Amino acid sequence: MINALRWLVFAIAAFAMNFPILVTLVTSFKSTRELSTNPGLWVQAPTLDNYLAVFQVSDRLNIFLYLFNSITVAFIGTTLAVVLALPAAYAIARGRLGERTLLPFIVNLRAVPLIIFAIPLYMMFQWLALLDTRLGLGLILSIVNLPLALVILVNAIRDLPGELDEAALMDGASRTQILLRVIAPVCRPAIVTSLIFGFITAWNEFLFGLMLTTSKAVPITVGASFFFAASGGGVQWGVASAVMVVGALPPVLLGLIMYRQISGSMTAGAVKG
Amino acid sequence: MTLTTIRKGSLLAVAIASLLASPAFAKVTVLGWPGGPEETALRAATDVYNAKPDVPENDKVELLFFNRDGFWDKLQADLAAGSKAFDVNLLATYSIGRYAPFMEPVELSDEAASVYGESVLKTMQYKGKQFGVPTDLSMHFMYYRKDLIEALMKDDAAKAKYAEISEKHLGKKLEPKSPDEWTWDDYAATALYFTQAVNPDSPTRYGTVLQLKNLLFNMMVFQSLPRAYGGNWMDESGKITVNSDAYRKGLETYKLLYDAGATPSDSLSYEFAEANAAFTSGQVAAMMQWNAAASDLTSKEKSPTVADVTETVAPPAGPEGRFTHIHGLGFGLNKNAENKAGGQAFIKWLSSKEAALTYARNNGAPALTPEVVTEVAKERPDLVKLGEFASKYGYVMNGGTAAKALSVYELQAKEFTGYWSGQQSLDDALANTEKGMTELLK
Amino acid sequence: MNAQRAHSSEFRLLAMPLVLFLLVFLGFPAIVNLIYSVSDVSFETLRQPKITGLSNFAAVWNDRAFWQASWFSLRFGALTALLECALGLILAIFLSPLIERRSWLMAILMLPLMVAPALVGLMYRLVLHEFAGPVPYYLWAWFGTSVSFLGPTSAFWTLIVVETLQWTPFALLLFYMAYRAIPTEIVEASAMDGARRWHLLWYIELPLMAPTIVVALLIRFIDGFRVFDNVYVLTGSGPGGSTASLSIYIYEAFFKQGAIGKAVAASVILFAVSFAVLYGLNFIASRRKGALT
Repeated sequence: MINALRWLVFAIAAFAMNFPILVTLVTSFKSTRELSTNPGLWVQAPTLDNYLAVFQVSDRLNIFLYLFNSITVAFIGTTLAVVLALPAAYAIARGRLGERTLLPFIVNLRAVPLIIFAIPLYMMFQWLALLDTRLGLGLILSIVNLPLALVILVNAIRDLPGELDEAALMDGASRTQILLRVIAPVCRPAIVTSLIFGFITAWNEFLFGLMLTTSKAVPITVGASFFFAASGGGVQWGVASAVMVVGALPPVLLGLIMYRQISGSMTAGAVKG
Repeated sequence: MTLTTIRKGSLLAVAIASLLASPAFAKVTVLGWPGGPEETALRAATDVYNAKPDVPENDKVELLFFNRDGFWDKLQADLAAGSKAFDVNLLATYSIGRYAPFMEPVELSDEAASVYGESVLKTMQYKGKQFGVPTDLSMHFMYYRKDLIEALMKDDAAKAKYAEISEKHLGKKLEPKSPDEWTWDDYAATALYFTQAVNPDSPTRYGTVLQLKNLLFNMMVFQSLPRAYGGNWMDESGKITVNSDAYRKGLETYKLLYDAGATPSDSLSYEFAEANAAFTSGQVAAMMQWNAAASDLTSKEKSPTVADVTETVAPPAGPEGRFTHIHGLGFGLNKNAENKAGGQAFIKWLSSKEAALTYARNNGAPALTPEVVTEVAKERPDLVKLGEFASKYGYVMNGGTAAKALSVYELQAKEFTGYWSGQQSLDDALANTEKGMTELLK
Repeated sequence: MNAQRAHSSEFRLLAMPLVLFLLVFLGFPAIVNLIYSVSDVSFETLRQPKITGLSNFAAVWNDRAFWQASWFSLRFGALTALLECALGLILAIFLSPLIERRSWLMAILMLPLMVAPALVGLMYRLVLHEFAGPVPYYLWAWFGTSVSFLGPTSAFWTLIVVETLQWTPFALLLFYMAYRAIPTEIVEASAMDGARRWHLLWYIELPLMAPTIVVALLIRFIDGFRVFDNVYVLTGSGPGGSTASLSIYIYEAFFKQGAIGKAVAASVILFAVSFAVLYGLNFIASRRKGALT
């Protein structure tokens, strides 16, 4: 009985939260003609034209390049953020270093619209030849990701029993060794969570992608609208939907793989005390 | 160090440089307006140019496109920071003053004046200097449902109802007229008549659809109404004249239509695409819309419900006449261009008759002089109308090309939508706009 | 504690890469921006800003739109954070037995996170359109009328719902992991003692999840506070600036008005205030027990 209720709640939640995605999926199979006559959630005459338009590569449009760019910049922006945040989080949580200043300072970076840094960053990137490069965009995305990664990791390390460290210290291990051999392994769920959220944030970022790239390093969020812009500022909804579906696939796949990691490491042993 | 190592080193340097360099390297890179007919036309013109034997290899044109959303913001950042990513870039009448400091005046071909005419060339001038070649002209048409209006004019009972509605809402008895003879009051009366909230027998749910999103382009569509009543941004002496009866009349007409339910209540979030979708559904009788919508709204494929019965005329008239807001899109020269000479050469060719005709034959919307337009009249009858409307009804507000013209539209969008949505009074909206514009246009 | 003090230099070394990275990449922009905030500067004078003192700050302070945007951001951030965390918590705990056995269920619930907010906003322009959108379409078909989702009174709540539907999965995932991480022994031991299911929840499980709840609320509040993409796409901050968040206010000042000094000054104010708030919260929390963030 209660299980049936659970399924019902799941179904309602999944439907409500995924409603725009459902509409996107349905719309991506509608023809232009059908779009103007049938707003409903079924497709009368499904067509693949929208997907064909998306996968057609020309000198201007190349969905594969945009996807590749996004994967690269999201990878740089995510791993770099976690690599920088983990040791700092350890120092903050255990060494009580910068707890009052550094931590709120970095968390604050999430509250401020970072786009105000666009102009000086643009000029700096010009000197460093980082404009329109995947590396350049990736570096900026790692700044965008730092606050969340740091908060999640500090929170996770604080939750660990102090005896873990004490025992290792007794054995004469240095802090760095403890971090790598003791803390990092048990923090795996938190690390993976930061990676997932970081990847999603980086994948979805729009404004820096727009400002700092022109052609070679254009990410998918920016490239997407190359496909569906129509005359006079119109939108080709069918093509827009198809490109959104394609653009969401990589993070979905990655999320699935990473999620297995989390659930796997959780069943391997509870970590909180 | 031997010669070969030096050569190897320099080869490496060249290889690295070419990896780092923008595509502008020894070419002419042109930044265009992405998506839509402007891109198609520019591509066609570029192909013709690149195929010319007298264009040197390293002056051939490569095209570059950004995102359409945020295009002007990004261009602003690029130009201000001195980007070398493109040599020639898109320019619009309303943004010319904003970008002119980062651009170079250009020289057009000798034919330009006879191809485009002085008034159209003016849309690309700032402080008396030519900053670009005007490739596309944008303006507004009144789109209406021919079937509905014709039925209305034939039906006596409907005429009586029409008179009753116009008297009740507009304070005067009006008779249905053909849209080409409309005043703005006739438009309003028709919009009300075809609204089910006002007239339950109306065949359409709404008489019109207004684009009221807080967006600068929507203000361009609105502008022609106050203009027909003599409205302008400022007078000859530079005094801001927005707080006038003309703007009052325009704002009140929109408010009246919105409050009466003659336009969807979500109109406050509508822009180009939403208004077209509403019209395409067949539930709207007439609307003011960009000329760019014409091909979609009359396409059987894209608008099966209304394609056959949609007609366009110039916007309605007011006491001062009939007006349509025009602005040009064109191409100018980046001050920091790496290949300035090549860019200038392309712009000069682009202003020639050959280029204009190529552009016109490939979906572009250049406003051509009557003599030139006849050469493409068969393929592009709409361009004849465009050129005719532009010369007869086209206008640019005083200050419409100022450095902060874009900000003026932004300001109006914010204040006027604030009034239409009932968040502030008409007096406040106009006073705030006047104050802001005085600051922006000083 | 002694051991920790002995290791303090090593801790400093561990935090160093992060600090250096931020100094390199944000140091220069931050200095430039601080100069801009006290200067008369436009896109034309980016390289020669004229220092004018605090007039930008005064302009922001006296701008009604700034306060309107701050108020919007506060309300939006608080409401969406509460809604998302409440829904996420309920779903995480209630659905946990289902998800435990079938992890693909979680994948379905997480789908909304995978689409960029700017594109979600774009899709809602279609979804809510009176003639082309499915929601009004079914409302008309079933009830013969529809709601004005983006009219002056309803736009705020529509935006809240849009944001909540997209980001509840974020809270859900965090809570689900925290819930699963509660050691089974604790739960079993209490169950042995005959604790009732929801006593267990209230006195054992929720307190154990408290740190995560606080973190989720904080993150969601910040994200709601700085909302930009979907709101900007859907309502363009209108009508009349009534749906402008602080991020939109700053973006518009920066790019649309070219008032760079004013935009940066607003950001400096925002940064200072939120730093003070976080610092204060931390101070209170550390007096009680441990630090908060």
